[in-house]
Amino acid sequence: MSFVRQALQAGVHSRSLLIPASTRPSLYSIALRSAIAQSRLIHSSRTTCAQHDHHHDEQHTESLHSDMKLLHGRYPKTPLYADLNSNANIEKFKTGERAIDKAVHLFFLTEIMRGMWIVIENFFRPPYTIMYPFEKGPLSPRFRGEHALRRYPSGEERCIACKLCEAICPAQAITIESEARMDGSRRTTKYDIDMTKCIYCGFCQEACPVDAIVETQNQEFSTETREELLYNKEKLLANGDRAEAEIAANLHADHVYR
Amino acid sequence: MVSLHRTIRNIRRVGLREWWRQMQYIGDAKSGVLVGTDQFGNRYFENMNGEEEIPGRQRWVDYAQHEYHASQVPPEWHSWIHHIRKDPPTHDPVVKNLTPPWQTPWVENLTGTRGAFKTYNTVAPKINAWEPKTISRGA
Repeated sequence: MSFVRQALQAGVHSRSLLIPASTRPSLYSIALRSAIAQSRLIHSSRTTCAQHDHHHDEQHTESLHSDMKLLHGRYPKTPLYADLNSNANIEKFKTGERAIDKAVHLFFLTEIMRGMWIVIENFFRPPYTIMYPFEKGPLSPRFRGEHALRRYPSGEERCIACKLCEAICPAQAITIESEARMDGSRRTTKYDIDMTKCIYCGFCQEACPVDAIVETQNQEFSTETREELLYNKEKLLANGDRAEAEIAANLHADHVYR
Repeated sequence: MVSLHRTIRNIRRVGLREWWRQMQYIGDAKSGVLVGTDQFGNRYFENMNGEEEIPGRQRWVDYAQHEYHASQVPPEWHSWIHHIRKDPPTHDPVVKNLTPPWQTPWVENLTGTRGAFKTYNTVAPKINAWEPKTISRGA
C-alpha cells in the first residue's frame, strides 16, 4: 500500500474516530458526508464497485480491466448510502487498486491505448455493413409493415365489415362503412386506413376473424406527400392482390403458432 | 473497405465486366451462385459460404434498372432476400401452391411520379348540394 493511501486512510480513521466523541448531530453528519465525498473523489468507480461486489461473491483480484468490462454485471446491489453503524465506508479503502498503479495508468494513458488498439483491430476486420437496398437484413414472417386486404382463393374479398379492427385500433386509424351487397352479403363500402396515424401494432390483423386485414412484410412504401398515405379500400385490396403469395406463405409458416 | 484478398478473389471469379457493374451499383466485389431472375430482370445471388460472406450479406440482388429502388423486388423474392423464406420462390412449394391465379403484377413504389397513389372516397357523398327542381308552369 502506498504512502498516499496510508495517509488518506489515517485521515479517515481519525475522522471517524472523532465522530462518537462529538454529540452534535450536525457535525457528525458533516464529517461523515465529507468522508464519503473524499472516498468518491479519490477513488474511481472501480473501487466502489469492487467493494460492493466483494460483499456478495469472491474477492476482486483481477489486475486490470477496461471500465465497460468492469461495470458489466457488477453494479452494486446495495445502494450507495452511508451505513452509520459499521465501518463500511472505511473498509472501502482496504482493497482495490493501489494509488501507484492508478498513477501509472494515468500517466502512461493505458486506457486510451487499449481503446485505440480495439479501433485498430476492427479497422482490419471485414465491416458488418449490409449494403441496402442490394442486401437486406433478416425479417420475421410476423413482421408488420404495409397493410393489405386479402381475398379468398376464389377471388371473393374476405372482409365482412365486422369492424373489430376499427374497434381495437388504438390509434383509431381505421374507418369502415358497410352496406349489404346485391346478393345480401355484408361488405365494406369504405375501408380507409390513415397510415400516418397507424402505429403498426398488429392488433387489426389479430382481431380479424377472417384474416382479411393483414400487415405485409413490405416496408418500402414511403411516400413523398402525406396524402399518398391515406389508403382507401381499393389501394388495400390492390396491395393484397399483388402480395398474396407472400402473405399466404407467411401465414402458412406461422399457422402452427396461431 | 474490404480486404484486397477478397476483392481479387471475387474479381477472378466473376470477371472484370461483372466486377465493374458491381462497383457501379453494390460497390463491392461479390461472387456467388445465381439463384434466379424475376419477371423484371433483377438477378438474385447467394453465397452461403460463411468464410466469404458475413451473416446478412449472403443474399443480394442486382437490379435491372439503373434507377434502382428497394421496392422493385417483387413480394416472392422480397421474402427470399429478407431471409423470411429459405428457398427461392422458384423452388418453394409453399409459395408456388399459394399463388392464386388472380394475383396481379407487382408495381414498385411510384411516389414522386404521376403514378403515385392519390386517395379518393369510395362511398357516395352523404351531403349533397341543393339541386332545385322547377316545375314548368305550362305556359
